[in-house]
Amino acid sequence: MRLLNILVIGVLILAASFVYKIKFDSTLQAERVAKLRGELRREGNAIAVLRAEWAKLDAPGRIQGLADRHLALQPVKASQFDKLNKLPEKPPTVVPSPNNDPIGAMLVPAPDTTGSVPPPAARRPQ
Amino acid sequence: MNEPKKHAEARWQRVLASLLYGHHVDRNVKAKARLGLAVVAFAGIFSVIALRLVMFAATSEGHGGRRGVAQDAVATARPDILDRNGEILATDIKTPSLFAEPRKIIDVDEAVELLTAVLPDLDGNEVRERLSSKRGFVWLKREITPSQQLEIHRLGIPGIGFLTENKRIYPNGPVVSHELGHVNIDNQGIAGIEKWLDGQGLAALHMAGLATDQLQRPVDLAVDLRVQYALRDELIAARDKYRAKASAGVIADVNTGEIIAMVSEPDFDPNNPREATDPNRLNRLTTGVYEMGSTFKALTLAMALDSGRVSLSSSFDARMPLRYGKFEIHDFHAQKRVLSVPEIFTYSSNIGTARMALSLGVDYHKAFLKKLGQLDRLRTELPESAEPLVPKHWGELNTVTIAFGHGLSVAPLQAVMGISALVNGGKMIPPTFLKRNQPEAERLAQRVIKSETAEKMRYLMRLNVEKGTATRANVAGYYVGGKTGTSEKVVGGRYSKTKVLTSFTAILPADKPRYLLLIMLDEPQGLPETHGFTTSGWNAVPVGALVIERVAPLLDIAPRYDLPKADQMLLVSAKETR
Repeated sequence: MRLLNILVIGVLILAASFVYKIKFDSTLQAERVAKLRGELRREGNAIAVLRAEWAKLDAPGRIQGLADRHLALQPVKASQFDKLNKLPEKPPTVVPSPNNDPIGAMLVPAPDTTGSVPPPAARRPQ
Repeated sequence: MNEPKKHAEARWQRVLASLLYGHHVDRNVKAKARLGLAVVAFAGIFSVIALRLVMFAATSEGHGGRRGVAQDAVATARPDILDRNGEILATDIKTPSLFAEPRKIIDVDEAVELLTAVLPDLDGNEVRERLSSKRGFVWLKREITPSQQLEIHRLGIPGIGFLTENKRIYPNGPVVSHELGHVNIDNQGIAGIEKWLDGQGLAALHMAGLATDQLQRPVDLAVDLRVQYALRDELIAARDKYRAKASAGVIADVNTGEIIAMVSEPDFDPNNPREATDPNRLNRLTTGVYEMGSTFKALTLAMALDSGRVSLSSSFDARMPLRYGKFEIHDFHAQKRVLSVPEIFTYSSNIGTARMALSLGVDYHKAFLKKLGQLDRLRTELPESAEPLVPKHWGELNTVTIAFGHGLSVAPLQAVMGISALVNGGKMIPPTFLKRNQPEAERLAQRVIKSETAEKMRYLMRLNVEKGTATRANVAGYYVGGKTGTSEKVVGGRYSKTKVLTSFTAILPADKPRYLLLIMLDEPQGLPETHGFTTSGWNAVPVGALVIERVAPLLDIAPRYDLPKADQMLLVSAKETR
């Protein structure tokens, strides 16, 4: 019976200290939560101010004023729009020449192949 | 002798016992049961206490959290207002406000001196008066800057404090003024959408002090900021150019009833609500009523065509001015011959439209306009609205004049709703300033005319731009249709010849309308460039063309150059419907 009592007292002390630890931790956490909330509110307010400022800077009236002052752009005319499928074909890709001199390769005129001049492959046997 | 007495006593006890707990009860068992009951009861009470303790520990928050709630309660937050693309039209920012608790102030004179040194625009006498009062709380200055807050904080005056409040900011200034309305210093809506928001339960939240930043979803308006700006820019230019008293314009989506842009010049800056009370700056499109002039002929023609008694090939006699009693109706572009229905529209013949309306009768005319919502007050989200001026006794003469847009004054937005219904396929959709999608609009839509009639109206509108009164609006590539309107203003009970209200109603594109544009100029002046004319075709129509050219790319309308003439358009659509 005495053993049981001692055991129970021991368990009680253990439990009490455990509860104390939990309570202490939770207080710490609650403080952290409160701090983070305050920070969130501050950040939220700062974001609201920045958003308002951005909206002010992005206002069409201001942009137009800046564009008129600094750019030589004109309003788009209806005739300047066209459909994608009316775009000309993509230009053929230029194959780089093997002699590592792209500018030189561009300067050398490609061998003309016309009705009277056969392509280079056909000319070689001569 | 003693024996029977004892016996009697035992007997008396037994009777008492039987009264208390019956005859045949084993008292040992009973005691045990009672003990058990007591144990259960105490265990219950203790567990309730324990549970309560746990609840207190779990729900109570830190000191900082609770203070935050109190601060938010003072700030009457409002949701952001966004345009249809998510651009901010109105938002809240937090600003500190200065207050005092006069009972806690020790030296009033010193406090006044120090405060007026930091805030020079503060009236010293007024502050002294407020601080000397016996009240618990007084505002000293609302919305101070953070640097001022810091300075006052450094002064260290007891009984002076700061509260964070929400201040409403309209980053675009006057661009979207009439739709948004404005708020007062307590962030309560006074006009426009802001007032509507309060009507949606926000006011109750403010009263309860629950309107915090959280749980407030932004409000999406139908307005497109870019389009609104472009429209306003052109209308300001037009007002200057034609020296008009006012200019106004609406762009509406004919298929959903959304108002994409709405400008009434002169307008005001919602950041400075004092301007808003000036009667010259009111919103002419919803709070003003006007005789819309020839624009109303579109309604008359639609009525005639929809009745089935008049077709596009019918003709009406416009050789002579129409005499009615002592009144005589003339044509502005008099042709002095029999006109077909399309000719009546393109020459804007008063005589022809009047005869057309008369042929259908007064009651039919009235019923049709009622169906199109032209006789009742138009209610939108905006709290400001005006009742149309309908003649009390509607006789034949009224039908004659109303047929060409005189004698009935409506809010221009109302006319926009009516004409949208004529061209969108015959469905009347109440206009809205909030975002709305197609299925929602379908649910609200009411069929008012047949879809074939709508086809014919589109054709007439297009024809009018190709060879009628609105040729200056023929913007290449956009297939504009439209109707002009010039109405003489009533000055001193008579129609003035010089003061006119011109309007232009355009549909875009005319073969399958998506948008309707209304331009209105109040008392435009003749210019050398317009040969001194003040009719709509010389001022409202060119302005409309400028607006369309500028706005169409923003509205996602691709220019097309392979479109048929108006006459072929009707044939094509007739084939399609067959």
